[in-house]
Amino acid sequence: MFRLLRPFVHRHPPLYRRAHVVAANGNQAPANTLQNIEKEHERLLRVVERRITERQSMYSQLTDQMSTPDDIAKLRQLKESEPLQNAWDDWLKAREAFNETIELLTDSDPSMRALATEEYTTLTEQLNKSVTETLPQLLVPPSETAHLGALMELKSGVGGSESSLFLADMLRMYQRLANASRWKAQVVTQNDLETGGIKDAIMEIKGEGVYDSLRWESGVHRVQRVPATEASGRVHTSTVAVVVLPLMEETDGKNDDLFSMDEVKVEVMRARGAGGQHVNKTESAVRLTHIPSGITVSMQDERSQHQNKRRAFQVLRSRLMDRKIMREIEERRATRLNLVRTADRSEKIRTYNYAQDRVTDHRIGLTLKNLTGIMEGDDLQEVLDALKKNHDEEVMEDMLNSA
Amino acid sequence: MQHRLFAKLAAQLGRQQASLEWKWMNDAIASDTSKNSLQDIVRRRCLGEPLQYILGTQPFGPLNLLVRPPVLIPRPETEHWVIKLSEAIRPTAQSPFSLLDIGTGSGCIPLLLCHLWPQGSVHTHGVDISPHAIRLANDNALLAGIPPPSDGDYLKRRNTFGTTPANFLAPTFPEEAMQIKPPFHIITSNPPYIPWKEFLELPRSVSEYEDPKALFGGPSGLEFYEAIARFVGRKDMMTSDGVVALEVGRGQAKAVEELIRTTGRVHHTEIWTDPWGIERTVIGRM
Ligand SMILES: C[S@@+](CC[C@H](N)C(=O)[O-])C[C@H]1O[C@@H](n2cnc3c(N)ncnc32)[C@H](O)[C@@H]1O
Repeated sequence: MFRLLRPFVHRHPPLYRRAHVVAANGNQAPANTLQNIEKEHERLLRVVERRITERQSMYSQLTDQMSTPDDIAKLRQLKESEPLQNAWDDWLKAREAFNETIELLTDSDPSMRALATEEYTTLTEQLNKSVTETLPQLLVPPSETAHLGALMELKSGVGGSESSLFLADMLRMYQRLANASRWKAQVVTQNDLETGGIKDAIMEIKGEGVYDSLRWESGVHRVQRVPATEASGRVHTSTVAVVVLPLMEETDGKNDDLFSMDEVKVEVMRARGAGGQHVNKTESAVRLTHIPSGITVSMQDERSQHQNKRRAFQVLRSRLMDRKIMREIEERRATRLNLVRTADRSEKIRTYNYAQDRVTDHRIGLTLKNLTGIMEGDDLQEVLDALKKNHDEEVMEDMLNSA
Repeated sequence: MQHRLFAKLAAQLGRQQASLEWKWMNDAIASDTSKNSLQDIVRRRCLGEPLQYILGTQPFGPLNLLVRPPVLIPRPETEHWVIKLSEAIRPTAQSPFSLLDIGTGSGCIPLLLCHLWPQGSVHTHGVDISPHAIRLANDNALLAGIPPPSDGDYLKRRNTFGTTPANFLAPTFPEEAMQIKPPFHIITSNPPYIPWKEFLELPRSVSEYEDPKALFGGPSGLEFYEAIARFVGRKDMMTSDGVVALEVGRGQAKAVEELIRTTGRVHHTEIWTDPWGIERTVIGRM
């Protein structure tokens, strides 16, 4: 079905001597396995094959002396697509080995059959891995945000103080996840409620791939439980809104590509009378307003204006970067019938149901019967992985649709 | 227990300020920079002692400075204009500047400039009449990693900070202070500027804890500016392209601007406002 593009050499010479095929008396499934895989992933394989053909023709266009500037560019492209070529070669090899193995499944020699069965299992796994992991990963362009940390903003929503109590629990959940993942988490700002709990908070999480792991946490999280403060034992429903922003490096309010300094109004928050030597009370709160977008950021948690300003600018840059990313996704979506959704941040994405000890993510219909493990941060990774996989699949789908 | 402590603090400072300071107190205890218990800290704070003295530090730009009574606590207004000055003037290591800071206190002004300007571009010197201030400024230099001046070749390529105890108002200044070698490219000062009648109205956290000698600027509040103007007016104290940067109290900017103009040596002046909209810094260029 798929043309062999390069003659390939078997790295391991066939293990078994050929025997004649005994009449097929077993079930038909083994022979169909490959066909099924190929059918299921037909589009993917076609796209890969086309890429490989292009690569071959580029290879043949290289001049003998490698003298033109074009050659350099081509070489670079060839180098970049080398992993795809290798993965494709592996696929073809596994495919051929598979076909050979099939015949041996019905060999007259029982030990040969046993060997072949083992081989069959290994090769099936290998083939499946190629089409579900290796090849898709190589086709999808690498994430542009892979190196970014995250700023996580949590705001209590409906449910009053119970919502604030749950926000504190969530903050702890993410902190514990960060610890387990060896990320560096730090609460940048938090507003405590008098009655206990946290009204809102911003947490900075630094580390490789943090933003890509956490970005699907954006949205409304809903909790259903009997509040600690509720005497009657009635279950309340309350919400916490989460926004995960790409963490931008701190700059001391210098111009950059996201905004220019004269678009930002910097204000101090409270009156200070005569100020200067007359006053030694710490008043360090600042507020930034980005005039074109209307974004405002207030920061008062640090002890100096300078620190608060740096923090505020960092939040501003992260919010502007977030907008930029969302805009780009929207644009791509408009031009290419993109499937990848910009997260609608008012959408209820997840429910934490204490009575039933379960957490359900509504976007992918995933339910885990282990609320405690998730709130302890230990099992949250499982949810994140499922969401990331879902995203990768959407991106892949797009790739195939637009290819 | 915690609840009662916080309530005590809130009664004193108001809820909003109290919750901020509460957080900073706990942070200081957690990071071990404060050796006191929360109870002690709150008790002292409720008696009116400045938080900065209790915690022993105050961030100033990217620096974290030590503060100790009775040396004046660096103010946000000062932080603001010093950062602005560091951007308005850019000395280079090719032709390093020399800078004199009058009434250096914690050393905050020259230390921050040393930190912000390129290495080897500035050699700074702080004078102060108070031995507490001189000691604190030296401790801060050590903490900030700014070495004292030396003839060593290696140090010439670093920014440096030296201190001299001296009375700036004495007629023998600077001749008696041997380490101070004019001419200077830059003079900075946040001199005592509180006039007599305002002195009596200061909040207790200022008047009872900070050194009156760091605050009181003579009957008019302008005594030090007059002395600085005389100093600048003297021959050979400043280079021909020199700059004076002076922090002033509310309502003093025009008078100080006038004072330094009458030296005949300052030709361009500018007034910078602080983040609260008050005229705070007078800049004079030769
Ligand atoms: C308002 S404080 C400024 C401290 C520091 N430069 C700052 O900005 O935080 C004034 C300083 O001038 C010092 N001072 C007062 N009288 C002085 C004098 N006659 N000669 C030298 N220094 C003096 C005080 O000791 C005090 O440290």
